[in-house]
Amino acid sequence: MTTTALRARPGVGLPPGVSRHVGLLAVLLALSAVTALNSDVFLTGANLINVSQQIAVVAVLAAGLTLLMTAGGIDFSLGAIAAVTHGVTAQLIVAGVGQWTAVALALALGAAIGLVNGLAVTLLKVVPFVATLATSTILGGVALLVIDGKSISIGDNLMALGFGELAGTVPALVVVAVAVCVAAGLVLRWTAFGRNAFAIGGNENAARLAGIPVVRTKLLLYTLGGLLAGLGGVMLVARLGAASPGTGGLHLELTVVAAVVIGGTALHGGSGTLVGTVLGVLLLGVVTNALNLLQINAHFQDVAVGSVLLVAAITNHLRGSTH
Amino acid sequence: MTGNDQTQNRRPVLELRGVRKAFGGAQALAGVDFTLLPGEVHAVVGMNGAGKSTLVELVCGSFAPDEGKIVIDGTARHSLTPRRAHAAGVSIVHQKRTLVAGLTVAENILLGRLPTRAGRVVWGRVRREAADALAGLGIDVDPGTRAGDLGPAEQTLVEIAREVHAGGRVLVLDEPTASLGGDDALRIHTLVRTLRDRGTAIIYISHHLDEVLDLADRITVLRDGREVATVSPADVDLPALVRAMVGDRLVHERVERVRSAGEKVLEIAALTSGRLTGFDLTVRAGEIVAVLGPAGDGQTELFRVLSGLRRPQTGRLTLHGEEIATGRAGAVLGAGLRCVTGDRLTFGLVPGLTVNENLDLVRRGRHRPWLVRWRRLHAEGRRSRARYGVTTLHEDPAVVTLSGGNQQKVLLAAWLADDPVACLLEEPTNGVDVAAKADIHRLVDGLADRGAAVLLSSSDVDEVVRLADRVVVVRAGRVVADLPMDLTTRDDLITLTAGGDHR
Repeated sequence: MTTTALRARPGVGLPPGVSRHVGLLAVLLALSAVTALNSDVFLTGANLINVSQQIAVVAVLAAGLTLLMTAGGIDFSLGAIAAVTHGVTAQLIVAGVGQWTAVALALALGAAIGLVNGLAVTLLKVVPFVATLATSTILGGVALLVIDGKSISIGDNLMALGFGELAGTVPALVVVAVAVCVAAGLVLRWTAFGRNAFAIGGNENAARLAGIPVVRTKLLLYTLGGLLAGLGGVMLVARLGAASPGTGGLHLELTVVAAVVIGGTALHGGSGTLVGTVLGVLLLGVVTNALNLLQINAHFQDVAVGSVLLVAAITNHLRGSTH
Repeated sequence: MTGNDQTQNRRPVLELRGVRKAFGGAQALAGVDFTLLPGEVHAVVGMNGAGKSTLVELVCGSFAPDEGKIVIDGTARHSLTPRRAHAAGVSIVHQKRTLVAGLTVAENILLGRLPTRAGRVVWGRVRREAADALAGLGIDVDPGTRAGDLGPAEQTLVEIAREVHAGGRVLVLDEPTASLGGDDALRIHTLVRTLRDRGTAIIYISHHLDEVLDLADRITVLRDGREVATVSPADVDLPALVRAMVGDRLVHERVERVRSAGEKVLEIAALTSGRLTGFDLTVRAGEIVAVLGPAGDGQTELFRVLSGLRRPQTGRLTLHGEEIATGRAGAVLGAGLRCVTGDRLTFGLVPGLTVNENLDLVRRGRHRPWLVRWRRLHAEGRRSRARYGVTTLHEDPAVVTLSGGNQQKVLLAAWLADDPVACLLEEPTNGVDVAAKADIHRLVDGLADRGAAVLLSSSDVDEVVRLADRVVVVRAGRVVADLPMDLTTRDDLITLTAGGDHR
């Protein structure tokens, strides 16, 4: 920890994703320590697995949003896409479609909705905030229509994803989330596509003049965001064993946006790291879990999450303005 | 209209006495005396950087002089702020128009001073007062029009009316006709004369010397922060004014080149877009052609079209006889044409990314690789920085932290790295110090020596003289003169850019 702090000078030693987030990491560790001291349950394997499963879905959606926001985009419909795809997956399985075929179709649907968002933003030039808020509202209704407002059980389908474990300990959902986040982090750092996202978010005019395919990159980013939201929907229905009203949707969306912003990705684009996003997801997961374990009124959770977001936003702003 | 006897009897409304102002090490004003009388149009002219803007900002209270006094109505003002200056009746109408587009002309004129009764706006009075204010100045604009729907000249007229209505007795007009055509400019001139006859004192900043000679009662010439002459237009003509502005400053020696223009490379034919109408131009291999024009709008449009930002209404763009698809940056780059912006942080660089990554931007845009090879990117970046003389404190900082000169070199290095077939350089030494300027000039020479067709869009006459082989003069969107540089003098160019006619 001390060596980390010592080496955490800008641009020295550590990869940019880590050195920038020492503060966030410290807050996360401090909060975990305080919770552990006040609750015997926090550090038990069962609880940690529980927390990690809860945040796995958030992490998958947040990974897609991090890429998109780095390019200066935003998508408020990711939670709603997850809600729709989790319902569609359940209905397909109930209708007799094979479980993995249902998953593939759900992923394709998510990607297609993302592409529609992308087309609205790039070709029709609708402001991303408005375009995705509109699709979010539409999809919120569609999600309820798909399952007719009822709970739909998928029986023992998708057990491998929802309850499977790697090496007997690590939940399959967490394996998926880690794989997605690592892949997204590598894309952002090592591919031209990822670097183009930075260039577009940092200065779209310059990127266009430099010959970077701005429209194509944005379309791909929105599609990828939709695809990952679709995956999130599949993970939701796999974990819960049923599709039900109120799963996913706006609450999930706000958690995802909060996690990405807490992780230091700028809303106006041009900067973002997956390490930060993962730390943001973890922090929100631990905060929620701590409030549960310490038996604090459930209504206080939103207050806490909102407060964390506000503090993070102010910190990021202050750090940004000192540059 | 204003006889000289009368002039001497009136008491100045505004005086600057021995005013000095430095920014960092640069002396922007080095002891200037200036008087402004009521009912006088007092023009201030000078080259870029002569100190015109500084003088205006001091008068308006934007910052205080290092030495000297600002006297308004016979009282020395020591701590002038924009608010105090305004209260004393000193108003400025900036070149950049500042009306609120969504409000009506009447609301704009009474902005911040809307008449109210019991907290509610009395709209009848708003319209009446605005209509009176406009009519009193002979401005034919409907006060009910949305300001955003007005033409540029009308917006300037309304802004002037607003300042006069707010009690402005000393009016600073900063290039009010800069982007206006002839008829529109005349409407501004008419209003200026009306105001003068009403006793308003006017400081008139303009690059159009013919206009200044026609309109002003007195002309003050600034050069390098000093007042070199204050004359009556009756005692001076255009060439004399130009000489006073330019002085006998050492002209940058033009490097004698052995290169001769080769085959036709870049051809622009019948281009119509924005302010450009039927624009034709050919640039040959190894040739540097400068585009000069009074307003600058034509040059901006040229950049937009050539770079692929905008698709023109009509016109063809060919490179080595091959037509380039317009409106697509990728096609332009692929053909070998590089358009380097004069506004690097808006159109050229990604400020938050590092120097090395910015240096890689155009290459990546052209070759569209799948992966980024950081090791090679940094190696190339180091080589490129060494070649273009980019100096940085850290190994690879964000480009926004560099000085203007270094940013400009990064911009040029990124865009010109692979020896383009042709390029458009817009203000290549914008905001750059003398040393960096010399470096960049050598670099541009090198481009042409290696056979590139170079189109130079610069408002810096010295730079044009230093670099260009040919000068093309644009007026009203058309090429009106095409002059070989060796038969053209610096004074000719200044006269041309100032809106005068080529002798």
